[in-house]
Amino acid sequence: MSATILHAEAGASDEARATGKSAGRRFATLVVRLGAIAAFAAIMAYFVVFAPGFTSTFNLINVVEQSAILGVLAYGMTSVIIGGGSDVTEGGIDLSIAANMGLCAAVYATLLSMGYGDFLSVLAAITVGMAVGALNALAVVGLGILPLLATLAVLNVAAGMELTLTQNTVVGASSPLLAFLVSGSFLGISALAWALIVFSATIIAIIHGTAFGLRLYAVGGHPEAARAAGLSVPFYVSFTYVLSGFCAAVASILTVSRLSASTPGSGELLLSVLAAALLGTVFSRRFVPTMGGTLLSVLFIGLLANGFQLLNVSSYWVNGVQGALILLVVAITSFARGSESSR
Amino acid sequence: MSVSANPNTAKVSLRAFLAKYSVLIAFAAIVIFFAVASPTFLTPANLFNVLVNNVVMLAIVALGLTIVISSGGIDLSVGVSVDMASMVFVMLLAAGYSGVVGVGGGLGAALIVGILNAILITRLNISPFLATLGVLFIGQSTQQLATSGGQPIYLTSGYASDQFKAIARTALFGVPTPVIVLVILAIAVHVLLHRSVFGRYVQAMGAQPGVAWYSGIRVPRELSMVHVLCALLAGVTGILLSATVKSYVPLSGNAFLLDAIGATFIGTTLSRERKPSVIGTLLGVLLLAIVKNGLLLVGWNFYWQQVGIGVLVFLVLAVSFGLRRATH
Repeated sequence: MSATILHAEAGASDEARATGKSAGRRFATLVVRLGAIAAFAAIMAYFVVFAPGFTSTFNLINVVEQSAILGVLAYGMTSVIIGGGSDVTEGGIDLSIAANMGLCAAVYATLLSMGYGDFLSVLAAITVGMAVGALNALAVVGLGILPLLATLAVLNVAAGMELTLTQNTVVGASSPLLAFLVSGSFLGISALAWALIVFSATIIAIIHGTAFGLRLYAVGGHPEAARAAGLSVPFYVSFTYVLSGFCAAVASILTVSRLSASTPGSGELLLSVLAAALLGTVFSRRFVPTMGGTLLSVLFIGLLANGFQLLNVSSYWVNGVQGALILLVVAITSFARGSESSR
Repeated sequence: MSVSANPNTAKVSLRAFLAKYSVLIAFAAIVIFFAVASPTFLTPANLFNVLVNNVVMLAIVALGLTIVISSGGIDLSVGVSVDMASMVFVMLLAAGYSGVVGVGGGLGAALIVGILNAILITRLNISPFLATLGVLFIGQSTQQLATSGGQPIYLTSGYASDQFKAIARTALFGVPTPVIVLVILAIAVHVLLHRSVFGRYVQAMGAQPGVAWYSGIRVPRELSMVHVLCALLAGVTGILLSATVKSYVPLSGNAFLLDAIGATFIGTTLSRERKPSVIGTLLGVLLLAIVKNGLLLVGWNFYWQQVGIGVLVFLVLAVSFGLRRATH
C-alpha cells in the first residue's frame, strides 16, 4: 500500500522533474547547436579581421572551388551513412569512395589521353564509379557483409586497379570540358564553384525535399520499422552505395580539371571525407547526418585551411587544428546529447 | 531415426560448417595453390621472411584492434601510436640515450595517445570513431611539426642503435626476437580477452553496452584500459619497426590501419556471433601476408597484388557471410 503511494509520488515527481528537465534539455541542446555555429562564426570573424583578403569575392570563390571535390565526395559518404545507420562498426560507411574517385580519374584521364572525346570519357568514368558502387551494394546488401569490411576490400580493388592503369604515374589530360571547368564562369562565379553549388542544390532537394529522401532516413534509422511499413530496405541501401559511386565519378572529373591530370594518392582524401560527413551531424537539430550539415562542415574545413594560408600559418598546423576543432565541437555536442539521453 | 539422417539437416550443417571454416579452407587452398605455383613459396627461408617482415608488426597492431573492436569500438589512431612510439624511440636513441630509455620513451608516447583517446571517449563521451579520427589528425600535425614537414630521422651507427639493430636481427633458439615478442603478446592478449574477468567485461560492453552498464561494470574504466592497451600494442610495433629499418619515417604507421581492421574482421568470421578473437585475427593477418607474398612470388607486380588481395578478401568474406545468411 505505502509502496504504491511512494511509487505514485515518485512517479509524479519524476514527471515534474522530466518536464523541468526537458525544458532544460531543450535549452542545452539549443545552446550546443548555437555553440557549434558560434564557434564556427567566431573563427570566421577572426579570419575576417586578421587574415588579409579573406573576405574578397575572389578568395571566397576560391574556397568554394577548393571545397568542390571534398564536398561532392562527402555527399556520397553522407548518403551511405543516412541509409545504413550511423553505428560505429555495423552502420553504413563507404571506405572505397576516395579510391573509387582515383580510379575514375585514372579512367577519365587515360581515355582522354588516348584521344577519346569528352562524352565517351565522362560516360566511362561515371560507369566505372557506379559499377564500383554497385559492387559495394552487392557485397553489403546481397551478401550481407559488414559495410566497413566490404568497402575495405573494394577499396583495395579500386586502388589496385588505379595503380595498374596508371602505373603510379601522373596522366595529363586536357579537353573542352576540363578547360570550361577551369576557366569558364557565369555571373562572376567560376564553373568549378557552380559545379558544387548545382550539385549541392540537387542533392539537398532529393534527400531533404522528397518522399524518397524521407524513406531513406526511415531505412537508416530503423530498418525493421521501415520494412514493416512496406519499404524495400535493400533497394534504398543499394541506392546509397551506387549514389556514392556516382559522387566519386563526379568528383573525379572535378579533380582532373583542377590538376589537369589524374594523380596517384587520392586515397588520402578518405579521412577528410569521413570527417566532413561526421562533423556535419553537429549542424542538424537531432544530430543526424544531413546534406546541409555536410556542406557547412566542408566549407568550414575549406575556410579553415584558407584562413591559415592567408595568416601565413604553416600548413602543418592545419590537420591538427582541424582535428582539435572536430573534437571540441563533437565534445560539446555529445554533452548535449548525453543530457538528452539520460532522462 | 537420428536427425542427421534428414538430408535437409545434413545440408544445413554442411553449410554451417563451410561458413564457419571458410577462412580456414580458403587459407589452406591458397597455401596449396602457391606451393604448387611457386617452388620458393614453401621454403623455410621464404616463410621466415613472410613471418618477420609481413606478419609480426601488422599482427601486433591487429591484436590491439581486436581488443578495441571486441569492446564495440574502433581505433583509427593506431597509426599515430605506431608513429609516435617510433619517433620518440628514434629521437632518444639519436640523442645518445640508452636503449632502455628509448623503449620506455617510445611506449610512453604511445601511452599518451591511448590516454588521450580514453579521455575523449569516456570523459567527453565522443564516439570512438570521431575521437580517434580527431586524434589521428592531431597526430599527423604533431609529426609534421616535429620533423619540419616529414623528414625521416635515420639512426647512424652508435652504441644504442647498434644494440637495437639486435632486436630485429637476433634470435633465441633460432626464432627471431620479433616473432618471440609477437607470440608472448598474442598469448597475453588471448588470456586477457578470453580467459579473464576484464575480457568478459570487454565482451559484455561489445555485445550489450547498456546491459553492461546496468550490471555494474565500470564501463569508463574498462574502456579506458581497452584504448590504452591498444595504443601500447601499436607502440610496440612502432619500436620494432624502427629497430628493423633503423629510422623513423613520419606518417608511415597509417599503412597498418586498414590491413589491421581487415584482418580483425576476417577473424570474426570464425565465430558464430562474429566476435573478434585473437586466433581469428592472427589467421586474418596470416591470410593477408601469405597472399601478398604468394602473388609476389608468382610474378604479379605490386599494383596487381593490391587488386588480388582485394578480390580475394572480398571472395572469402562473400562466401563466409553469404553461406551464413543462407543457414539462417
